[in-house]
Amino acid sequence: MMNDMRKIERDTVASEIKIQARGVQVFYGDTHAIKDVSVDILDKTVTAFIGPSGCGKSTFLRCLNRMNDTIDIARVEGDIHIDGDDVYDPSIDPVQLRAKVGMVFQKPNPFPKSIYDNIAYGPRIHGLARTKAELDEIVERSLRRAAIWDEVKDRLHEPGTGLSGGQQQRLCIARAVATEPEVLLMDEPCSALDPIATAQVEDLIDELRRNYSVVIVTHSMQQAARVSQKTAFFHLGNLVEYRETGQIFTNPEDPRTESYITGRIG
Amino acid sequence: MTAIVLLALLCVSILGYFLNRQAATKLRANGTRLHSVPGYHGLYSLLSTIVPVVVLIVLWLIFQGPLIDRFTMSGLPAGSLDELDTGGRQLILAEIKSISRGRIFGNPEVWKVDAADRYVWMHAVAGWMLFGIVIVASLGIVGLARSRVAADFRARHGVERITSGLMLFCSTIAIFTTLGIIAALLFESIRFFERVPITEFFFGLNWEPQIPLREDQIAAEGAFGWIPVFLGTLVITVVALFLAVPVGLLSAIYLNEFAPSRLRAVAKPVLEVLAGVPTVVYGFFAILVVAPAIRSFGASLGIPVSPNTALAAGSVMGIMLIPFISSFTDDALSAVPKSLRDGALALGATRAETVLNVLFPAAIPGIVGGILLAISRAIGETMIVVMAAGLIASLTINPLDSVTTVTVQIVTLLIGDTSFDNPKTLAAFALGMMLFIVTLVINVFALRIVRKYREAYE
Repeated sequence: MMNDMRKIERDTVASEIKIQARGVQVFYGDTHAIKDVSVDILDKTVTAFIGPSGCGKSTFLRCLNRMNDTIDIARVEGDIHIDGDDVYDPSIDPVQLRAKVGMVFQKPNPFPKSIYDNIAYGPRIHGLARTKAELDEIVERSLRRAAIWDEVKDRLHEPGTGLSGGQQQRLCIARAVATEPEVLLMDEPCSALDPIATAQVEDLIDELRRNYSVVIVTHSMQQAARVSQKTAFFHLGNLVEYRETGQIFTNPEDPRTESYITGRIG
Repeated sequence: MTAIVLLALLCVSILGYFLNRQAATKLRANGTRLHSVPGYHGLYSLLSTIVPVVVLIVLWLIFQGPLIDRFTMSGLPAGSLDELDTGGRQLILAEIKSISRGRIFGNPEVWKVDAADRYVWMHAVAGWMLFGIVIVASLGIVGLARSRVAADFRARHGVERITSGLMLFCSTIAIFTTLGIIAALLFESIRFFERVPITEFFFGLNWEPQIPLREDQIAAEGAFGWIPVFLGTLVITVVALFLAVPVGLLSAIYLNEFAPSRLRAVAKPVLEVLAGVPTVVYGFFAILVVAPAIRSFGASLGIPVSPNTALAAGSVMGIMLIPFISSFTDDALSAVPKSLRDGALALGATRAETVLNVLFPAAIPGIVGGILLAISRAIGETMIVVMAAGLIASLTINPLDSVTTVTVQIVTLLIGDTSFDNPKTLAAFALGMMLFIVTLVINVFALRIVRKYREAYE
């Protein structure tokens, strides 16, 4: 049933462009990690980045919310526009940008605080709630959207680090959605999870698509096929192919893409 | 003689090493599968020779001196020790020993010279006996170890047992030393409390450790209330921490989170140089620079400031403590996983918010550890306060007054000719005991706080 729905929705992809990247280059010191990548990422769509390890997909993802700024030796060139605003324009405050572009990491990284405080952290620093009741509501809504409310509602004040790996990752997703971002970046969100937790997170990603533009980096081609509408294949820092997910997996244009999805490279 | 004995032991045990290794190598060359590689067979011989024989030598040397003394005394002609008390006997023994070393004063009696000759002879004999015993014992062990070399002999296990025993021994040294210190403090303190009532020490508000030197001297009876002294330590410690904690914390946070890496590469070592400055130099700094500056500043405001202020000593001590706190904080912040930092930044937290809300709570145990160490240092610090704080114990918490500290009093009580049977000297041990207890209590207390409030990651 769920799969059928996805098929139907896949055809009705919103055409509005959320993120527009043109000629993006990234250097780590002398290493040229991303070579001239241009891509349009659509709103209310799940976009998957696939490719072998070290191909630059995570690096490119981290350009979108300027997390590469935290790495001293990283240098980014080219244009990235979100809603028409240049992300790397000096007038853009990376702090505000990151509030708008949320991120979920490969390894669950809950803060060593209570479950409640983990979720409330973003809303608190951005002043999204005026009263305690509003904050409670945001916390509950975020946890519900991350499909973890029922599991943690009775222990909101226990440490978030005490949850299982899959729960921690959903907690981190809830934490990211609590700040009401418009784009959600996910860097291999399921690589540390077991199959059951992975299925839960994938359902969640599909659910999140209603409100967000989701970009997911994944090593699992099955996962890309299951959750995404558009797929980009990266290889050695180049964006090789970027098309509808169904097409890229059934009828790849580039021989490198075909080799990768059939398991000959990577 | 002892050096020759040790050298002989070393030679024999190295011989054992090569014997065993060669034997094991030969076994292996014949196609036998050994349990342990030849090196372990050699080490087994080496260690099982050295360890017991060294213990034997140490025991021998401990008992040799007293036994020879006793033989010397009992060999004296009958009647020469009659009507002498312990002190007199000790005196004769000392004279014999000094004659044996060739230092002869006046004309000693003939029997004393004879005794000295016998004393020298006994030492020589004991030395040769030790040499012989060591050679025989070590060769015996080497032979025994050689005879045990076999394919299924577990030499590696033997070596591991001996080395783990050695490690255990080394790790207990610190523990037993601590116990010894406690015992020494405790016994002397008990002797102090036999002379001065315990209530006077704990609740007395006067510290005047003068006692009459002669029976008929008219002098103050001496007061031993530790409260003013401890209050002085407390004032100076608080002043020091008021300076060191904020400066240390903020500089560590700046260097760790905000400073460009080139500045950090320069500033961090420079900050740590502060930790290497000898405290006596800090003392100079306090009396020559800080104290006059505070005094003239106070004078310009019309506030009377005494020449030796708690403020001067405390603030210089605070400067000394900055590197402790900052390097502990720096390490603790660096140990917080990068993923937590990224998580907070990705939520749109500023660097300051990340430090304050996420890194800081996670780093609290390390930071508190640094502060604790700083407190212990401040309470126990001696040189700066000896130079820059006062000697008179006054009951005050005004940092512009002159105060004295527990450590200063211990130093002044024990300096010079002292006899260990009057309360003045023994008071130093009681103060030392209290210092020990206070730091212990602070440590235990702080550990509990840390365990309760820490935000553990992973």
